[in-house]
Amino acid sequence: MKITLHINKKNYEVECAGHETLIEVLRDTLGFTGTKNSCNEGECGSCTIIVNGKSVLSCMMLACDCEGLEITTIEGLAQEDELHPIQESFLDKGAVQCGFCTPGMVMATKALLDKNPKPNKNDIESALDGNLCRCTGYKKIIEAVEDASKKIE
Amino acid sequence: MQLKPFTFHSPQSLNEVLDLVNKLQDKKILAGGTFLLNNLRLLKKRGIKTPQNIISLRKVEKLHGISLEKNKLIIKAMTTLCELCESPDLKHNFQILKIVAKGIATTPIRNMATIGGNLTCRYAWTEMPTVMIALEATMHFIDETGKEESILAEQFFKNGAKSNKLFSHVSIPLQKQANLTYQRISKQSPVDIPLLAICAKSQNASKHFSLTRIAVNSGVNFAQRDFILEEFLNKSKLSKSIDEEALNHLDNKIYDARSDEYKQHMFKICIKNAIRELAL
Repeated sequence: MKITLHINKKNYEVECAGHETLIEVLRDTLGFTGTKNSCNEGECGSCTIIVNGKSVLSCMMLACDCEGLEITTIEGLAQEDELHPIQESFLDKGAVQCGFCTPGMVMATKALLDKNPKPNKNDIESALDGNLCRCTGYKKIIEAVEDASKKIE
Repeated sequence: MQLKPFTFHSPQSLNEVLDLVNKLQDKKILAGGTFLLNNLRLLKKRGIKTPQNIISLRKVEKLHGISLEKNKLIIKAMTTLCELCESPDLKHNFQILKIVAKGIATTPIRNMATIGGNLTCRYAWTEMPTVMIALEATMHFIDETGKEESILAEQFFKNGAKSNKLFSHVSIPLQKQANLTYQRISKQSPVDIPLLAICAKSQNASKHFSLTRIAVNSGVNFAQRDFILEEFLNKSKLSKSIDEEALNHLDNKIYDARSDEYKQHMFKICIKNAIRELAL
């Protein structure tokens, strides 16, 4: 079926099957490979994107069910050559090792800071509780979010 | 592809949903998707037949929203756990819903998961059923003709949480005098399923327990009341030792007898904590 998805402030007309998940369409049909596919069970958060201002898991959504929703992927953050402050903070604070969890972490952070520009440590840990990282031990990630919140302020 | 093929339907109104439910033989309802999609993946992995049709409720306006009407809180089926947490209508006895919803799963899951899914998914370990029983909630369904039917949450879960009707909303009476607590224990695992969850409500008048309700979910059966414990508490004064005494008045049939000694010990700690908080 033909659907229109509104992604990163643009409309995309896509031909997709009813049973295709959003992450499959984002990555395989539209080429938004920044969103990562890992557990496929809603446990790891690597597929986190933002829909209507809230962090959600694209592996747990059907693409056809997303018409009319405002979708933001990691590709929608940077403006041409300029990184988003959150991306800058993640780099500056050494919060990226293998980088696989990073898009999901960044999107969860974006959703948090859009709603709560001055989060405390508990707020940050709560907002990122759906994102797993096997590399960093999370300390640098928390620091990156704190740094980003100061930058955005 | 991750899922087996099916036909996706996106009705825009309750009437369209009911038409599809009547017309289609092999179907499943899609609410937030946090249970259904994993379920479909698991069925595919096991080589089991999956439904031919999926009906999404996302665009049905009448199934969204929370409101306070005539001293009753109305929570529509497609309300997400996050929306529940953020609702300004959750005051008095309704605050317990916020406490419980905030502890379920993770932030992105709460942004997607719905109250309807949590109540009607038929997984015995979900947490909202316990709370709804304690709050004396009523569950409202719509049959294929559009006729509304209601059933007390307690009865619904006693019947095995089965219904072939469409769940539309839950209504909860306002009880300003009610004192509520929720306790749970779980083990560290990828999925945070409680081993035991208890929601207790009482109106403590003149230093006595009164109108006490104890709803328990031990993951073995659906959430249900511990009538033996309720009866004991309703005859008891609030005291420092009441939590310890209460452990001699449990309906042991409803707790998971298969659990090892340590888990059973932890169950008792959980129950004690609930009663201690209730007695405050």
